[in-house]
Amino acid sequence: MGNVFEKLFESLFGKKEVRILILGLDGVGKTTMLYKLKLGRIVATVPTVGSSVETVEYNNISLTIWDVNSHCKHRPMWRHYFKDTKGVIFVVDSNDRERISEAQEELTRLLMEDELMDAVLLVFANKQDVPNAMSTAEIADKLGLQSVRQRNWHIQATSATSGDGFYEGLDWLSSQLKNQK
Amino acid sequence: MQRNKQVAMGRKKFNMDPKKGIQFLIENELLKNTCEDIAQFLYKGEGLNKTAIGDYLGERDAFNIQVLHVFVGLHEFTDLNLVQALRQFLWSFRLPGEAQKIDRMMEAFAQRFAGGAGACLSTSVRGHTCYVLSFAIIMLNTSLHNPNVKDKPTVERFIAMNRGINDGGDLPEELLRNLYESIKNEPFKIPEDDGNDLTHTFFNPDREGWLLKLGGRVKTWKRRWFILTDNCLYYFEYTTDKEPRGIIPLENLSIREVEDSKKPNCFELYIPDSKDQVIKACKTEADGRVVEGNHTVYRISAPTPEEKEEWIRRIRAAISRDPFYEMLAARKKKVSSTKRHTLSRTEQGG
Repeated sequence: MGNVFEKLFESLFGKKEVRILILGLDGVGKTTMLYKLKLGRIVATVPTVGSSVETVEYNNISLTIWDVNSHCKHRPMWRHYFKDTKGVIFVVDSNDRERISEAQEELTRLLMEDELMDAVLLVFANKQDVPNAMSTAEIADKLGLQSVRQRNWHIQATSATSGDGFYEGLDWLSSQLKNQK
Repeated sequence: MQRNKQVAMGRKKFNMDPKKGIQFLIENELLKNTCEDIAQFLYKGEGLNKTAIGDYLGERDAFNIQVLHVFVGLHEFTDLNLVQALRQFLWSFRLPGEAQKIDRMMEAFAQRFAGGAGACLSTSVRGHTCYVLSFAIIMLNTSLHNPNVKDKPTVERFIAMNRGINDGGDLPEELLRNLYESIKNEPFKIPEDDGNDLTHTFFNPDREGWLLKLGGRVKTWKRRWFILTDNCLYYFEYTTDKEPRGIIPLENLSIREVEDSKKPNCFELYIPDSKDQVIKACKTEADGRVVEGNHTVYRISAPTPEEKEEWIRRIRAAISRDPFYEMLAARKKKVSSTKRHTLSRTEQGG
Protein backbone atom coordinates (compact mmCIF):
# COMPACT_ATOMS: atom_id res chain seq x y z
CA MET A 1 0.00 0.00 0.00
CA GLY A 2 2.71 2.38 1.05
CA ASN A 3 4.29 1.86 -2.28
CA VAL A 4 1.16 2.93 -4.15
CA PHE A 5 0.95 6.18 -2.24
CA GLU A 6 4.59 6.78 -2.70
CA LYS A 7 4.24 6.33 -6.44
CA LEU A 8 1.17 8.57 -6.54
CA PHE A 9 3.00 11.17 -4.54
CA GLU A 10 5.95 11.01 -6.83
CA SER A 11 3.84 11.32 -9.92
CA LEU A 12 2.05 14.32 -8.47
CA PHE A 13 5.07 16.13 -7.28
CA GLY A 14 7.56 14.65 -9.67
CA LYS A 15 10.37 13.38 -7.53
CA LYS A 16 13.48 13.71 -9.58
CA GLU A 17 16.25 11.17 -9.48
CA VAL A 18 19.62 12.50 -10.41
CA ARG A 19 23.12 11.20 -10.49
CA ILE A 20 25.81 13.15 -8.71
CA LEU A 21 29.52 12.42 -8.56
CA ILE A 22 31.63 13.22 -5.57
CA LEU A 23 35.23 13.82 -6.57
CA GLY A 24 38.43 15.14 -5.12
CA LEU A 25 41.89 14.07 -4.09
CA ASP A 26 42.61 11.39 -1.49
CA GLY A 27 41.96 12.18 2.13
CA VAL A 28 39.91 15.33 1.65
CA GLY A 29 36.97 13.87 3.54
CA LYS A 30 34.72 12.45 0.81
CA THR A 31 33.93 9.27 2.70
CA THR A 32 33.07 11.07 5.93
CA MET A 33 30.96 13.44 3.90
CA LEU A 34 29.04 10.71 2.13
CA TYR A 35 28.52 8.99 5.42
CA LYS A 36 27.24 12.13 7.10
CA LEU A 37 25.01 13.08 4.21
CA LYS A 38 23.04 9.86 4.32
CA LEU A 39 22.41 10.16 8.03
CA GLY A 40 19.30 12.21 7.41
CA ARG A 41 17.63 8.95 6.54
CA ILE A 42 19.16 5.87 8.04
CA VAL A 43 18.52 2.78 6.01
CA ALA A 44 19.87 -0.57 7.01
CA THR A 45 21.38 -1.98 3.87
CA VAL A 46 23.47 -5.01 3.23
CA PRO A 47 26.95 -3.72 2.50
CA THR A 48 28.19 -4.21 -1.05
CA VAL A 49 31.72 -4.72 -2.27
CA GLY A 50 32.58 -1.76 -4.44
CA SER A 51 32.52 2.00 -4.62
CA SER A 52 30.55 3.94 -2.04
CA VAL A 53 27.20 4.99 -3.40
CA GLU A 54 24.66 6.77 -1.25
CA THR A 55 21.18 8.01 -1.96
CA VAL A 56 20.21 11.24 -0.32
CA GLU A 57 16.67 12.56 -0.49
CA TYR A 58 16.67 16.29 -0.43
CA ASN A 59 14.00 18.83 -1.36
CA ASN A 60 12.06 16.17 -3.19
CA ILE A 61 15.08 15.24 -5.24
CA SER A 62 16.73 11.88 -4.91
CA LEU A 63 20.45 12.31 -5.27
CA THR A 64 22.49 9.21 -6.00
CA ILE A 65 26.01 10.18 -5.06
CA TRP A 66 28.91 8.11 -6.35
CA ASP A 67 32.43 8.14 -5.02
CA VAL A 68 34.35 7.70 -8.23
CA ASN A 69 37.78 8.00 -9.64
CA SER A 70 38.47 10.45 -12.37
CA HIS A 71 41.67 8.66 -13.24
CA CYS A 72 42.33 8.93 -16.93
CA LYS A 73 43.05 5.20 -17.11
CA HIS A 74 39.37 4.58 -16.64
CA ARG A 75 38.26 7.06 -19.26
CA PRO A 76 36.67 4.47 -21.55
CA MET A 77 34.27 3.53 -18.80
CA TRP A 78 33.50 7.09 -17.95
CA ARG A 79 31.27 7.98 -20.77
CA HIS A 80 28.92 5.21 -19.74
CA TYR A 81 28.88 5.55 -16.04
CA PHE A 82 28.76 9.28 -16.01
CA LYS A 83 26.74 10.05 -19.08
CA ASP A 84 23.76 11.57 -17.33
CA THR A 85 25.56 13.21 -14.50
CA LYS A 86 23.76 16.36 -13.43
CA GLY A 87 26.14 17.56 -10.80
CA VAL A 88 29.66 17.26 -9.51
CA ILE A 89 30.59 17.77 -5.89
CA PHE A 90 34.27 18.53 -5.81
CA VAL A 91 35.79 18.30 -2.35
CA VAL A 92 38.91 20.21 -1.37
CA ASP A 93 40.92 20.05 1.84
CA SER A 94 41.09 23.70 2.86
CA ASN A 95 44.25 23.07 4.83
CA ASP A 96 46.29 21.32 2.23
CA ARG A 97 48.11 24.19 0.58
CA GLU A 98 50.60 21.80 -0.93
CA ARG A 99 48.09 19.86 -2.95
CA ILE A 100 45.76 22.66 -3.95
CA SER A 101 47.42 22.96 -7.36
CA GLU A 102 47.03 19.22 -7.84
CA ALA A 103 43.35 19.67 -7.01
CA GLN A 104 43.14 22.50 -9.51
CA GLU A 105 44.62 20.30 -12.27
CA GLU A 106 42.21 17.53 -11.46
CA LEU A 107 39.24 19.87 -11.55
CA THR A 108 40.31 21.45 -14.82
CA ARG A 109 40.61 18.03 -16.39
CA LEU A 110 37.17 17.05 -15.10
CA LEU A 111 35.49 20.11 -16.48
CA MET A 112 36.76 19.24 -19.93
CA GLU A 113 35.05 15.85 -19.91
CA ASP A 114 32.21 15.67 -22.42
CA GLU A 115 30.12 13.62 -20.06
CA LEU A 116 30.14 16.41 -17.51
CA MET A 117 29.23 19.16 -19.95
CA ASP A 118 25.82 19.74 -18.40
CA ALA A 119 26.79 19.16 -14.82
CA VAL A 120 26.66 21.97 -12.30
CA LEU A 121 29.65 22.29 -10.01
CA LEU A 122 29.50 22.45 -6.25
CA VAL A 123 32.83 22.88 -4.50
CA PHE A 124 32.98 21.87 -0.87
CA ALA A 125 35.84 23.68 0.84
CA ASN A 126 36.15 21.11 3.56
CA LYS A 127 37.96 21.07 6.91
CA GLN A 128 37.07 24.67 7.57
CA ASP A 129 37.03 23.92 11.27
CA VAL A 130 40.82 23.66 11.33
CA PRO A 131 42.55 26.97 12.17
CA ASN A 132 44.50 28.55 9.32
CA ALA A 133 42.24 26.99 6.73
CA MET A 134 42.22 28.78 3.40
CA SER A 135 39.13 30.93 2.90
CA THR A 136 36.59 30.02 0.25
CA ALA A 137 37.66 33.09 -1.74
CA GLU A 138 41.27 31.94 -1.69
CA ILE A 139 40.32 28.44 -2.73
CA ALA A 140 38.04 29.71 -5.51
CA ASP A 141 40.96 31.74 -6.73
CA LYS A 142 43.46 28.89 -6.57
CA LEU A 143 41.11 26.53 -8.33
CA GLY A 144 40.53 29.10 -11.03
CA LEU A 145 36.77 29.09 -10.55
CA GLN A 146 36.44 32.66 -11.75
CA SER A 147 37.35 31.57 -15.23
CA VAL A 148 34.73 28.82 -15.33
CA ARG A 149 32.25 29.85 -17.99
CA GLN A 150 29.00 28.35 -19.21
CA ARG A 151 28.55 26.42 -16.05
CA ASN A 152 26.88 27.25 -12.78
CA TRP A 153 29.14 26.80 -9.84
CA HIS A 154 29.11 27.47 -6.14
CA ILE A 155 31.68 27.17 -3.40
CA GLN A 156 30.61 26.24 0.10
CA ALA A 157 32.63 26.12 3.32
CA THR A 158 32.09 22.80 5.09
CA SER A 159 33.25 20.67 7.94
CA ALA A 160 32.72 16.98 7.33
CA THR A 161 33.14 16.16 10.98
CA SER A 162 30.41 18.49 12.20
CA GLY A 163 28.35 18.49 9.01
CA ASP A 164 28.40 22.29 8.85
CA GLY A 165 27.67 23.68 5.41
CA PHE A 166 26.34 20.46 3.90
CA TYR A 167 22.77 21.53 3.72
CA GLU A 168 23.57 24.96 2.43
CA GLY A 169 25.46 23.22 -0.35
CA LEU A 170 22.66 20.79 -1.03
CA ASP A 171 20.17 23.67 -1.06
CA TRP A 172 22.10 25.29 -3.82
CA LEU A 173 22.47 22.00 -5.68
CA SER A 174 18.80 21.10 -5.50
CA SER A 175 17.65 24.54 -6.59
CA GLN A 176 19.96 24.26 -9.58
CA LEU A 177 18.70 20.80 -10.43
CA LYS A 178 15.06 21.85 -10.18
CA ASN A 179 15.63 24.57 -12.71
CA GLN A 180 17.10 22.13 -15.17
CA LYS A 181 14.77 20.70 -17.71
CA MET B 1 52.44 -16.92 27.45
CA GLN B 2 53.20 -13.27 28.05
CA ARG B 3 54.10 -13.02 24.37
CA ASN B 4 50.78 -14.50 23.31
CA LYS B 5 48.95 -11.99 25.46
CA GLN B 6 50.86 -9.16 23.84
CA VAL B 7 50.12 -10.45 20.35
CA ALA B 8 46.44 -10.63 21.29
CA MET B 9 46.61 -7.08 22.57
CA GLY B 10 48.36 -5.97 19.37
CA ARG B 11 45.59 -7.53 17.29
CA LYS B 12 42.96 -5.80 19.33
CA LYS B 13 44.74 -2.48 18.91
CA PHE B 14 45.04 -3.15 15.19
CA ASN B 15 41.32 -3.70 14.90
CA MET B 16 40.63 -0.37 16.53
CA ASP B 17 43.41 1.55 14.77
CA PRO B 18 45.53 -0.42 12.29
CA LYS B 19 48.49 1.94 12.38
CA LYS B 20 48.73 1.95 16.15
CA GLY B 21 48.36 -1.82 16.28
CA ILE B 22 51.25 -2.37 13.88
CA GLN B 23 53.33 0.16 15.77
CA PHE B 24 52.63 -1.62 19.04
CA LEU B 25 53.63 -4.99 17.61
CA ILE B 26 56.85 -3.56 16.20
CA GLU B 27 57.77 -1.79 19.43
CA ASN B 28 57.29 -5.00 21.35
CA GLU B 29 59.37 -6.92 18.84
CA LEU B 30 56.50 -9.15 17.85
CA LEU B 31 56.70 -7.99 14.26
CA LYS B 32 59.59 -6.78 12.13
CA ASN B 33 59.30 -3.39 10.59
CA THR B 34 59.47 -4.62 7.02
CA CYS B 35 56.73 -4.73 4.43
CA GLU B 36 57.31 -8.48 4.06
CA ASP B 37 56.62 -9.19 7.71
CA ILE B 38 53.65 -6.88 7.94
CA ALA B 39 52.13 -8.22 4.71
CA GLN B 40 52.55 -11.76 6.02
CA PHE B 41 50.84 -10.79 9.27
CA LEU B 42 47.90 -9.27 7.39
CA TYR B 43 47.70 -12.17 4.99
CA LYS B 44 47.47 -14.70 7.79
CA GLY B 45 44.96 -12.31 9.30
CA GLU B 46 44.44 -14.32 12.46
CA GLY B 47 42.12 -12.43 14.78
CA LEU B 48 42.24 -9.37 12.58
CA ASN B 49 39.26 -7.38 11.50
CA LYS B 50 39.04 -7.43 7.71
CA THR B 51 37.82 -3.86 7.53
CA ALA B 52 40.92 -2.81 9.44
CA ILE B 53 43.13 -4.79 7.06
CA GLY B 54 41.45 -3.04 4.14
CA ASP B 55 41.96 0.35 5.75
CA TYR B 56 45.63 -0.33 6.30
CA LEU B 57 46.21 -1.61 2.76
CA GLY B 58 44.32 1.32 1.26
CA GLU B 59 46.44 4.08 2.80
CA ARG B 60 48.18 6.42 0.40
CA ASP B 61 51.45 6.25 2.30
CA ALA B 62 54.33 4.85 0.20
CA PHE B 63 55.10 2.22 2.83
CA ASN B 64 51.50 1.01 2.93
CA ILE B 65 51.46 0.75 -0.84
CA GLN B 66 54.57 -1.42 -0.63
CA VAL B 67 52.89 -3.62 1.95
CA LEU B 68 49.87 -3.85 -0.36
CA HIS B 69 52.04 -5.10 -3.20
CA VAL B 70 53.75 -7.73 -1.06
CA PHE B 71 50.35 -8.71 0.34
CA VAL B 72 48.95 -9.25 -3.14
CA GLY B 73 52.06 -11.24 -4.00
CA LEU B 74 51.28 -13.71 -1.24
CA HIS B 75 48.11 -14.72 -3.03
CA GLU B 76 48.26 -17.66 -5.37
CA PHE B 77 46.15 -17.09 -8.47
CA THR B 78 47.49 -19.83 -10.72
CA ASP B 79 44.73 -21.66 -12.60
CA LEU B 80 42.12 -19.12 -11.56
CA ASN B 81 40.26 -16.93 -14.01
CA LEU B 82 39.99 -13.22 -13.39
CA VAL B 83 36.71 -13.30 -11.47
CA GLN B 84 37.76 -16.29 -9.38
CA ALA B 85 41.02 -14.59 -8.53
CA LEU B 86 39.20 -11.38 -7.63
CA ARG B 87 36.82 -13.32 -5.42
CA GLN B 88 39.71 -14.87 -3.59
CA PHE B 89 41.54 -11.57 -3.28
CA LEU B 90 38.50 -9.64 -2.05
CA TRP B 91 37.86 -12.26 0.60
CA SER B 92 41.17 -11.59 2.31
CA PHE B 93 40.22 -8.07 3.40
CA ARG B 94 37.28 -5.72 3.18
CA LEU B 95 37.57 -3.46 0.15
CA PRO B 96 37.18 0.19 1.17
CA GLY B 97 34.55 2.23 -0.66
CA GLU B 98 36.80 5.07 -1.71
CA ALA B 99 37.53 5.15 -5.40
CA GLN B 100 41.22 6.00 -5.04
CA LYS B 101 41.80 3.16 -2.62
CA ILE B 102 39.96 0.70 -4.84
CA ASP B 103 42.04 1.95 -7.69
CA ARG B 104 45.37 1.30 -5.97
CA MET B 105 44.22 -2.13 -4.90
CA MET B 106 43.07 -3.12 -8.36
CA GLU B 107 46.32 -1.89 -9.82
CA ALA B 108 48.32 -4.07 -7.43
CA PHE B 109 46.00 -6.99 -8.04
CA ALA B 110 46.22 -6.72 -11.81
CA GLN B 111 50.00 -6.52 -11.75
CA ARG B 112 50.19 -9.71 -9.78
CA PHE B 113 47.51 -11.46 -11.77
CA ALA B 114 48.75 -10.52 -15.21
CA GLY B 115 52.37 -11.03 -14.22
CA GLY B 116 52.08 -14.12 -12.08
CA ALA B 117 49.49 -16.12 -13.90
CA GLY B 118 51.17 -15.47 -17.22
CA ALA B 119 48.01 -14.60 -19.06
CA CYS B 120 45.29 -12.49 -17.54
CA LEU B 121 42.48 -14.31 -19.23
CA SER B 122 42.09 -17.05 -21.74
CA THR B 123 43.38 -14.57 -24.26
CA SER B 124 46.66 -12.85 -23.60
CA VAL B 125 45.51 -9.64 -22.07
CA ARG B 126 48.13 -7.25 -20.87
CA GLY B 127 48.48 -5.90 -17.36
CA HIS B 128 46.99 -2.53 -18.12
CA THR B 129 43.85 -4.00 -19.65
CA CYS B 130 43.59 -6.40 -16.78
CA TYR B 131 43.63 -3.46 -14.39
CA VAL B 132 40.98 -1.48 -16.21
CA LEU B 133 38.85 -4.59 -16.48
CA SER B 134 39.25 -5.40 -12.78
CA PHE B 135 38.09 -1.92 -11.95
CA ALA B 136 35.17 -2.32 -14.34
CA ILE B 137 34.18 -5.52 -12.56
CA ILE B 138 34.15 -3.76 -9.19
CA MET B 139 32.00 -1.03 -10.69
CA LEU B 140 29.70 -3.66 -12.17
CA ASN B 141 29.34 -5.31 -8.79
CA THR B 142 28.49 -1.92 -7.29
CA SER B 143 25.93 -1.12 -9.97
CA LEU B 144 24.23 -4.49 -9.87
CA HIS B 145 24.18 -5.08 -6.15
CA ASN B 146 24.32 -1.80 -4.29
CA PRO B 147 20.67 -1.04 -3.45
CA ASN B 148 21.37 2.68 -3.80
CA VAL B 149 21.94 2.25 -7.51
CA LYS B 150 18.54 2.25 -9.20
CA ASP B 151 19.76 2.14 -12.75
CA LYS B 152 21.01 -1.42 -13.25
CA PRO B 153 23.14 -1.93 -16.35
CA THR B 154 22.22 -4.65 -18.81
CA VAL B 155 24.79 -6.99 -20.28
CA GLU B 156 24.67 -5.00 -23.54
CA ARG B 157 25.52 -1.84 -21.67
CA PHE B 158 28.34 -3.55 -19.83
CA ILE B 159 29.80 -4.71 -23.13
CA ALA B 160 29.45 -1.24 -24.58
CA MET B 161 31.16 0.25 -21.53
CA ASN B 162 34.20 -1.86 -22.05
CA ARG B 163 34.70 -0.99 -25.70
CA GLY B 164 38.23 -0.01 -26.48
CA ILE B 165 39.78 -0.95 -23.14
CA ASN B 166 42.10 -3.53 -24.66
CA ASP B 167 44.69 -1.01 -25.79
CA GLY B 168 42.14 0.60 -28.04
CA GLY B 169 40.68 -2.72 -29.18
CA ASP B 170 37.74 -4.68 -27.81
CA LEU B 171 37.79 -7.70 -25.57
CA PRO B 172 35.94 -10.79 -26.81
CA GLU B 173 32.23 -10.31 -26.24
CA GLU B 174 31.82 -13.79 -24.86
CA LEU B 175 34.36 -13.09 -22.17
CA LEU B 176 32.52 -9.94 -21.08
CA ARG B 177 29.20 -11.79 -21.14
CA ASN B 178 30.63 -14.46 -18.86
CA LEU B 179 32.02 -11.88 -16.47
CA TYR B 180 28.68 -10.11 -16.35
CA GLU B 181 26.74 -13.29 -15.68
CA SER B 182 29.14 -14.39 -13.00
CA ILE B 183 28.89 -11.11 -11.07
CA LYS B 184 25.15 -10.88 -11.60
CA ASN B 185 24.54 -14.37 -10.27
CA GLU B 186 26.99 -14.17 -7.46
CA PRO B 187 27.97 -10.82 -5.92
CA PHE B 188 31.36 -10.50 -4.28
CA LYS B 189 31.00 -11.75 -0.76
CA ILE B 190 31.64 -9.39 2.09
CA PRO B 191 34.31 -11.07 4.19
CA GLU B 192 33.19 -11.87 7.69
CA ASP B 193 34.76 -9.77 10.33
CA ASP B 194 35.76 -12.40 12.79
CA GLY B 195 37.91 -9.90 14.63
CA ASN B 196 34.98 -7.57 14.94
CA ASP B 197 33.04 -9.35 17.59
CA LEU B 198 34.82 -9.92 20.80
CA THR B 199 34.80 -13.71 20.61
CA HIS B 200 38.48 -13.72 19.98
CA THR B 201 39.17 -11.67 23.06
CA PHE B 202 37.27 -14.10 25.22
CA PHE B 203 38.94 -17.13 23.82
CA ASN B 204 41.18 -18.70 26.42
CA PRO B 205 40.38 -16.37 29.32
CA ASP B 206 42.14 -16.40 32.70
CA ARG B 207 38.89 -17.41 34.34
CA GLU B 208 35.16 -17.45 33.60
CA GLY B 209 31.99 -18.33 35.46
CA TRP B 210 28.65 -17.25 36.91
CA LEU B 211 28.66 -14.66 39.66
CA LEU B 212 26.13 -12.35 41.26
CA LYS B 213 26.75 -8.64 40.89
CA LEU B 214 25.20 -5.95 43.04
CA GLY B 215 23.80 -3.05 41.00
CA GLY B 216 25.49 0.34 41.14
CA ARG B 217 22.44 2.54 41.51
CA VAL B 218 19.63 0.04 42.00
CA LYS B 219 20.83 -2.32 44.70
CA THR B 220 19.67 -5.61 43.29
CA TRP B 221 21.68 -8.75 42.65
CA LYS B 222 21.96 -9.84 39.03
CA ARG B 223 23.36 -13.10 37.82
CA ARG B 224 26.06 -12.45 35.23
CA TRP B 225 28.57 -14.52 33.29
CA PHE B 226 32.00 -13.09 34.10
CA ILE B 227 35.14 -13.40 32.01
CA LEU B 228 38.56 -12.35 33.22
CA THR B 229 41.08 -11.67 30.47
CA ASP B 230 43.70 -9.10 29.48
CA ASN B 231 43.56 -7.23 32.75
CA CYS B 232 39.84 -6.65 32.27
CA LEU B 233 36.72 -8.10 33.78
CA TYR B 234 33.81 -8.51 31.39
CA TYR B 235 30.30 -9.55 32.26
CA PHE B 236 27.53 -10.92 30.08
CA GLU B 237 23.88 -11.61 30.52
CA TYR B 238 24.16 -15.02 28.84
CA THR B 239 27.16 -17.21 28.13
CA THR B 240 26.35 -17.10 24.45
CA ASP B 241 26.26 -13.29 24.18
CA LYS B 242 28.80 -11.98 21.73
CA GLU B 243 29.15 -8.62 23.37
CA PRO B 244 29.49 -7.96 27.06
CA ARG B 245 26.97 -6.02 29.10
CA GLY B 246 29.79 -4.42 31.01
CA ILE B 247 33.53 -3.95 30.93
CA ILE B 248 35.59 -3.21 34.02
CA PRO B 249 39.25 -2.41 33.36
CA LEU B 250 41.16 -3.60 36.40
CA GLU B 251 43.78 -0.91 36.12
CA ASN B 252 44.21 0.95 39.41
CA LEU B 253 41.68 -1.22 41.20
CA SER B 254 42.10 -3.41 44.24
CA ILE B 255 40.19 -6.41 45.46
CA ARG B 256 39.12 -7.36 48.99
CA GLU B 257 36.89 -9.86 50.71
CA VAL B 258 33.73 -8.44 52.24
CA GLU B 259 30.82 -9.66 54.32
CA ASP B 260 27.38 -9.02 52.96
CA SER B 261 24.23 -9.38 55.00
CA LYS B 262 22.29 -10.90 52.09
CA LYS B 263 24.76 -12.90 50.02
CA PRO B 264 27.59 -15.26 50.93
CA ASN B 265 31.15 -15.43 49.49
CA CYS B 266 31.44 -11.77 48.58
CA PHE B 267 34.35 -9.73 47.34
CA GLU B 268 34.68 -6.19 46.16
CA LEU B 269 36.62 -4.27 43.54
CA TYR B 270 37.46 -0.80 44.75
CA ILE B 271 39.76 2.13 44.17
CA PRO B 272 42.38 2.20 46.90
CA ASP B 273 42.42 5.35 49.02
CA SER B 274 39.21 6.69 47.54
CA LYS B 275 35.71 6.42 48.82
CA ASP B 276 33.32 8.11 46.47
CA GLN B 277 35.15 8.07 43.20
CA VAL B 278 33.30 6.17 40.48
CA ILE B 279 35.22 3.28 38.98
CA LYS B 280 36.13 3.77 35.33
CA ALA B 281 34.01 1.21 33.50
CA CYS B 282 31.27 1.00 30.93
CA LYS B 283 28.09 -0.91 30.40
CA THR B 284 25.47 -1.33 27.72
CA GLU B 285 21.95 -0.26 28.56
CA ALA B 286 18.93 -2.33 27.52
CA ASP B 287 18.36 0.04 24.59
CA GLY B 288 21.88 -0.51 23.29
CA ARG B 289 23.43 2.72 24.51
CA VAL B 290 26.89 2.39 25.98
CA VAL B 291 27.20 4.43 29.14
CA GLU B 292 29.77 4.96 31.85
CA GLY B 293 29.52 2.73 34.85
CA ASN B 294 28.20 4.16 38.11
CA HIS B 295 29.87 1.95 40.68
CA THR B 296 32.13 3.25 43.40
CA VAL B 297 32.69 -0.40 44.28
CA TYR B 298 31.76 -3.61 42.49
CA ARG B 299 30.37 -6.05 45.01
CA ILE B 300 30.26 -9.59 43.71
CA SER B 301 29.05 -12.83 45.23
CA ALA B 302 30.47 -16.23 44.25
CA PRO B 303 28.49 -19.47 44.51
CA THR B 304 31.00 -21.18 46.83
CA PRO B 305 33.85 -20.13 49.14
CA GLU B 306 36.30 -22.03 46.90
CA GLU B 307 35.20 -20.14 43.84
CA LYS B 308 35.45 -16.88 45.72
CA GLU B 309 39.03 -17.69 46.67
CA GLU B 310 39.90 -18.61 43.10
CA TRP B 311 38.36 -15.45 41.62
CA ILE B 312 40.19 -13.28 44.11
CA ARG B 313 43.45 -15.05 43.41
CA ARG B 314 43.04 -14.72 39.63
CA ILE B 315 41.90 -11.12 39.68
CA ARG B 316 44.73 -10.22 42.01
CA ALA B 317 47.17 -11.90 39.62
CA ALA B 318 45.66 -10.02 36.66
CA ILE B 319 45.92 -6.70 38.47
CA SER B 320 49.46 -7.23 39.63
CA ARG B 321 50.68 -7.95 36.13
CA ASP B 322 50.90 -4.22 35.77
CA PRO B 323 54.45 -3.27 36.78
CA PHE B 324 53.27 -0.04 38.32
CA TYR B 325 50.84 -1.92 40.42
CA GLU B 326 53.55 -4.21 41.67
CA MET B 327 55.69 -1.27 42.59
CA LEU B 328 52.85 0.41 44.40
CA ALA B 329 51.71 -2.80 46.00
CA ALA B 330 55.17 -3.42 47.41
CA ARG B 331 55.18 0.00 48.98
CA LYS B 332 51.70 -0.37 50.33
CA LYS B 333 52.50 -3.74 51.74
CA LYS B 334 55.21 -2.23 53.86
CA VAL B 335 52.90 0.42 55.18
CA SER B 336 49.92 -1.79 55.83
CA SER B 337 51.57 -5.00 56.97
CA THR B 338 51.16 -4.05 60.56
CA LYS B 339 47.52 -3.17 60.08
CA ARG B 340 46.76 -6.41 58.31
CA HIS B 341 48.25 -8.45 61.11
CA THR B 342 45.92 -6.87 63.55
CA LEU B 343 42.99 -7.42 61.22
CA SER B 344 43.56 -11.10 60.63
CA ARG B 345 43.96 -11.65 64.31
CA THR B 346 40.60 -10.01 64.94
CA GLU B 347 38.99 -12.15 62.25
CA GLN B 348 40.32 -15.33 63.75
CA GLY B 349 39.15 -14.22 67.12
CA GLY B 350 35.60 -13.42 65.87
